[in-house]
Amino acid sequence: MKPVTSAAAELLRETTELYAGDHTALSMLEAYSCRLQEPLRVAVAGMAKAGKSTLLNAIIGEEIAATDAGECTKVVTWYRHGHVPKLTLHPVEGQPRELPIRRREGHLVLTLDGHRPEEVKHLVVDWPSPALKNLTLIDTPGLASLAESVSARSENSMAPDDAPSDADAIIYLMRHLHSSDVKFLEALQDPKRRFSGAVSSLVVLSRVDEIGAGRIESLVSAGRIADRYRQDKKLRRLSLGIIPVAGLLAQTARTLRQSEYVALAELAKVDRSARERTLLSTDIFLASKNPSTVNEEMRTCLVNRFGIFGIRLAVVLIQSGSNDATTLAQELARRSGLDELLDLLQGQFQARAAELKIRSVIMGVDQLLKDRPRPGAERVSPMLERLLSASHEPRELRLLMRLRSGAATLPREFAPEAEQLLGGSGTSVSKRLGLPEEAYQSEIEEAALAAVKRWRTLSEHPLSDRAVIDVCRTIVRTCEGIIEDLQSTADQR
Amino acid sequence: MANLVKLVEHGITMARAGDRDDLSRRLEQTRSRLMDPSVRVIVVGEFKQGKSQLINALVNAPVCPVDDDIATSVPTVVRHGSPASAAVLVAGSPGGETELKRVPIAMDELAAHVSEKGNPGNKRGFISAEVCLPRKILSGGLSLIDSPGVGGFNSVHSLTTLTALPTADAMLLVSDASQEYTEPEMRFLRQAMRVSPNVACVLTKTDLYPQWRRVLDLDREHLSEGRQELIPLFPVSSELRLHAARLEDQELNDESGFPQLIKHLRQEIVGNSERNQEKSVRQDLLSVIEQLRLSLKAELAALENPNGTPQLIADLELAKEKSGESRKRSARWQVVLNDGMSDLISDMEHDLRDRLRKIQREAEQAIDEGDPGKSWEQFTEWLEERCAEAIADTFVWTNERAQWLAAKVAEYFDQDEMALPALRVDETDDVMDPVEPMPVLDPGHVKPTQKILIGMRGSYGGLLMFGLLTGVLGMALINPISIGAGLLLGGKAYKEDMQGRLQRRQAEAKNLVRRQIDDVIFQVGKQLKDRLRLIQRSTRDHFTDVAEEHHRSLAESVTAAQKAATTFSSTRELRIKAIRTELERVNVLHRHASALTAPQMVTAKP
Ligand SMILES: Nc1nc2c(ncn2[C@@H]2O[C@H](COP(=O)(O)OP(=O)(O)O)[C@@H](O)[C@H]2O)c(=O)[nH]1
Ligand SMILES: Nc1nc2c(ncn2[C@@H]2O[C@H](COP(=O)(O)OP(=O)(O)O)[C@@H](O)[C@H]2O)c(=O)[nH]1
Ligand SMILES: [Mg+2]
Ligand SMILES: [Mg+2]
Repeated sequence: MKPVTSAAAELLRETTELYAGDHTALSMLEAYSCRLQEPLRVAVAGMAKAGKSTLLNAIIGEEIAATDAGECTKVVTWYRHGHVPKLTLHPVEGQPRELPIRRREGHLVLTLDGHRPEEVKHLVVDWPSPALKNLTLIDTPGLASLAESVSARSENSMAPDDAPSDADAIIYLMRHLHSSDVKFLEALQDPKRRFSGAVSSLVVLSRVDEIGAGRIESLVSAGRIADRYRQDKKLRRLSLGIIPVAGLLAQTARTLRQSEYVALAELAKVDRSARERTLLSTDIFLASKNPSTVNEEMRTCLVNRFGIFGIRLAVVLIQSGSNDATTLAQELARRSGLDELLDLLQGQFQARAAELKIRSVIMGVDQLLKDRPRPGAERVSPMLERLLSASHEPRELRLLMRLRSGAATLPREFAPEAEQLLGGSGTSVSKRLGLPEEAYQSEIEEAALAAVKRWRTLSEHPLSDRAVIDVCRTIVRTCEGIIEDLQSTADQR
Repeated sequence: MANLVKLVEHGITMARAGDRDDLSRRLEQTRSRLMDPSVRVIVVGEFKQGKSQLINALVNAPVCPVDDDIATSVPTVVRHGSPASAAVLVAGSPGGETELKRVPIAMDELAAHVSEKGNPGNKRGFISAEVCLPRKILSGGLSLIDSPGVGGFNSVHSLTTLTALPTADAMLLVSDASQEYTEPEMRFLRQAMRVSPNVACVLTKTDLYPQWRRVLDLDREHLSEGRQELIPLFPVSSELRLHAARLEDQELNDESGFPQLIKHLRQEIVGNSERNQEKSVRQDLLSVIEQLRLSLKAELAALENPNGTPQLIADLELAKEKSGESRKRSARWQVVLNDGMSDLISDMEHDLRDRLRKIQREAEQAIDEGDPGKSWEQFTEWLEERCAEAIADTFVWTNERAQWLAAKVAEYFDQDEMALPALRVDETDDVMDPVEPMPVLDPGHVKPTQKILIGMRGSYGGLLMFGLLTGVLGMALINPISIGAGLLLGGKAYKEDMQGRLQRRQAEAKNLVRRQIDDVIFQVGKQLKDRLRLIQRSTRDHFTDVAEEHHRSLAESVTAAQKAATTFSSTRELRIKAIRTELERVNVLHRHASALTAPQMVTAKP
């Protein structure tokens, strides 16, 4: 266990003692204790129909969350690892209760057992999926949806006004950058909150296969648009990264069936111009008899699971050598952007999982102390402060966000290096130091020492402002962390 | 159409012959409207829904730039013209509504002028662009207006679009088949319906989405919620239509859904406007004829029945006096109009100030709660949005009330302004009919408010009202971060304690906000007031013109009757004959004009 994690556990123990007899507080504290042990919680958020449930399925690798052209995710739903499938409803009032599991066309049928959506806090799905072992995913209803109460529920679970967030981190989906997206991402960063830079978010440019009218170069356009958004000052400061993902393609890639591969291979044999003619629209494709080996049922399946673009892409891939279902699935997953997303999830979230969770716990305890003041709290407060200053990663993240937003002041020429050291382009030691992965240990050490020296000098410069000094100190602390890591690995050898 | 023009020209000749330059001028205006009809259809929607591509598919030409990323930055009008040409409109003086310069550009340079790539955020400040194309679909005067959009239906963008609506005859709301209507779309639609009654919706990209029929059903449901009248919704695929054109494939074209949309544009939108136009021409003609006939009949009556002449003259004098009253500022309709408009303006100013001050208070509170230097950019955006939202509300209801007022004025005018007196002349012809019945009873009648609106659209000078109101929102705020940074870097400042600096930043920020709000209240108040004054002027001019014409007609009739009384009996018969011939000519025109009753409405809703 990392020292910060045990310090957090310690804090929870002390606070639990403090609130002896207060059942509400105790149950909250117990939940926080569990949270430290549990996997990281990542919420998938975005406007209605941004493709949240689809992407969630893609990450899990199974079509369990229902997806639909109409609105269908009505309540916040957690997907977490469990050895046997189980569905539990947590009402706003009363005890959680287990519900029977039913599936329709593979999708879970999420009944509310007679509850109205607003009476339900959330549903929890336990699912035996390896992907959930170190990641709990939270599916949310859409923001800016026509049913306003649906959006309100969603917003509340991620950026509640008065309670710490349920999620440790967020994947935010958007198809285009709407002002409501910016508003939501900003709400997560509300400077009025004590822990600003609260929840870290990754932005996903979603449903990118549709961007170019379904043309084969859609993904190229998507990359270009993502690039533009990366330059967008506003988005930069609100997110840890922006990646284009074709969620439907990813979901299908993770669940590709042999029969689909066979049908696509048949299609690939059809003469190009005749094939393009049938792919002019979904209606035409469904009605087409060319090739006759692909029947209407299969066509419906292909259109729904691949989309026009997906079919085109799969055909091209098959023609250029993906000659079995597994290879095709791999190629589709790679092109869909899913791999890159999973990498980023690993790099930005999982690598900081302990700290992200601790931050959620700190926020919770802090709020508790404020909401339910209790004599003797002075004993806990200093611990809280210490933990806050000791848990370095959240501070790194916070500073990273502030640097990107320009809210943290630093002479311009130092900013890029600062971002890099803070893990802005990856949290591995070599990434932080801007060295290639294969760099020699000695090179790495040298670079780390040079960095710490540079930043110390800057922090001690007589003309440096107080704010600049604070920034430098955080970075110096980061550099020291790197050196400590290097030394401990050297010791082990 | 040509027929109509001929009739009007006939009327002009007669009016000139009768020495009635006022009437001939009116008909000349009618004629120029007929010759150059314009039915402006504005295409609106969130960005990337396929607005530009829809227009391209309608006219089968790549006129509006389309891109996978955001494309349109300047509103673009596509209308009929041969040969094909393009131009941009530039404001002569900054913010000037009147002085406009039309700068011709080459067709292939259009994208560079109106797209985000060539002209990001419309930095070059064009008011709009114009493309003329020799296309049949545009030949009835249809102009399609492509609207720019960035950021979605946020408040600022909605406001920009809303303020452009009164200058258009109809609106097409575009949304793609990827999902049902969102809350911002429905909110915009509700507001837009209050400004422009003629709304149709288009569901685009049906080629791409297997579930488009489901989205169509869901959207229909949303459209019918809480409404009696049916808003038509057309599912289309621009891609298919463009393919169909390339492949010359009729079946594919049918499948694109465009035939129904085009039918609607033709029959409901252009057709409706044509029918209104026809009705309006008929009305203009009949009214002119009636007035020309009045003095002829008065003279004839006096000639044929000298005994009745004093009574006739007395009656005519009375009517003349009455219509003279109508011209005065003290006339009831004028009082209603002027008082009503003054009230409306002061209500509007009050409402605007109220809303904006509330925002100011909210803003000040937010500043007090935090350090304004930290999130200033976000803050100014928030402020801008909130202001836009408030202005949109004020705009929508002001617009509504102004139209209501115009209708009320029309009512008073109709009540007070006597119809021209019915002169019974010993004739075999149908001229025995009393003069025009009360206009409201005539089903073919164009309501005066409609005429006023048509007149007003004309007086916008073909100018799109895009962004005129929002222009003032462009943040004049100075960035206090720079103030903060200044303090930060300045040598002595760092001695100053944090608290003092924070307080100074807060005070400075509040000051900026107050100045900004003051400015917005002033500028927007002025622009809304100008618009209301424009409506007032158009309303007043419309009715004053009618009253003036009537007055003059009656005066001429009195003169004619008096002249008849002094006509020597030797020439009397001759004169009677001449008048009868003249009357017969007028009657023929009258018969033709009467026959112009608009063809039965074709109501073809899909
Ligand atoms: N073409 C395409 N369709 C998608 C993609 N992701 C989602 N969809 C479709 O969009 C609709 C809504 O998706 P869903 O995941 O339920 O969105 P949510 O409301 O954000 O959860 C469904 O019909 C999906 O099939 C994608 O990447 N490409
Ligand atoms: N498949 C398909 N794509 C379309 C259609 N209409 C527009 N698009 C695509 O949608 C994107 C946005 O279109 P555009 O007309 O620029 O949207 P605007 O921002 O609303 O003007 C472009 O990539 C177009 O190619 C359509 O009917 N079918
Ligand atoms: Mg969903
Ligand atoms: Mg466009």
